Amino acid sequence: MQFADIIFLIIIFVTMIGALVTVLSGSIIYAMIGLVTTMFGIAGIYVYLNAPFLAMMQILIYVGAISILIAFAIMLAGPLYKNPKEWTTITKFIASLVVSVFSFLVFFKVIMHASWMNTKAKEFTVTTKEIGRALFDKLTFPFELISLLIIVSIIGAIMLALLSKGEE
Amino acid sequence: MTATFIYNNLYIYLFVALFLLCCGILGLLYRRSLIGMLISVELIMNGAGLNFVAFNRFVSPDNAYGLSFALFIMGIAAAEAAIALGIIILIFRKFRHIEGQKIKEMKD
Repeated sequence: MQFADIIFLIIIFVTMIGALVTVLSGSIIYAMIGLVTTMFGIAGIYVYLNAPFLAMMQILIYVGAISILIAFAIMLAGPLYKNPKEWTTITKFIASLVVSVFSFLVFFKVIMHASWMNTKAKEFTVTTKEIGRALFDKLTFPFELISLLIIVSIIGAIMLALLSKGEE
Repeated sequence: MTATFIYNNLYIYLFVALFLLCCGILGLLYRRSLIGMLISVELIMNGAGLNFVAFNRFVSPDNAYGLSFALFIMGIAAAEAAIALGIIILIFRKFRHIEGQKIKEMKD
């Protein structure tokens, strides 16, 4: 086992532990910290997939923006983290676990029985230049649609804030 | 030499993404507050992005479409988080709680 393999297994272990903390922890603030841990782990996996630009975007957007937004929402929405009982009943938890394990088994069978074309990695690194060329050459229409979506979401968030201030 | 590395295998990335998807489904089903459900949705979207990047690396390594769609997923997740958190704050101002089961009326 090489040294890079050990680092890779550590990164995957950190990602899985972060996902479990995100789902199973009692309070929401611990769930947010688990989400940040998972995002760092996925950024490390992106580095192993020869996509360092995407890893930097992952850290910048998820860790820098979305988790801070979630932290502000937790702080604005009252001290919900003081009562640690998050799930309602144990039967609901068991039912959710059954659904999750069943979907895991179905997709496990799908992954193992599908025939991917070539699973050998070529020695080809997609650089940031290639990503920009693809974004402005073939994928221009989805790119513009994403910008429209973000503008609409910003205006919608501002309108929600104004509307709630008007009702006060 | 390069074939002996563990990270040169497609299946381990797919299994990590599948694990994230199942954790997201579990959290989305049994979380009681709306912010917990939103965090679970973020987990599911990250699993989808990881799948896109892994397939781009291993199945069609000659172009950069999978990486571009992972960037699109990040943009969609940011817009969705902004709108959802605005609605959650509005619900908290109106009902004084953010529990998903107790919100039964949409308007007065």
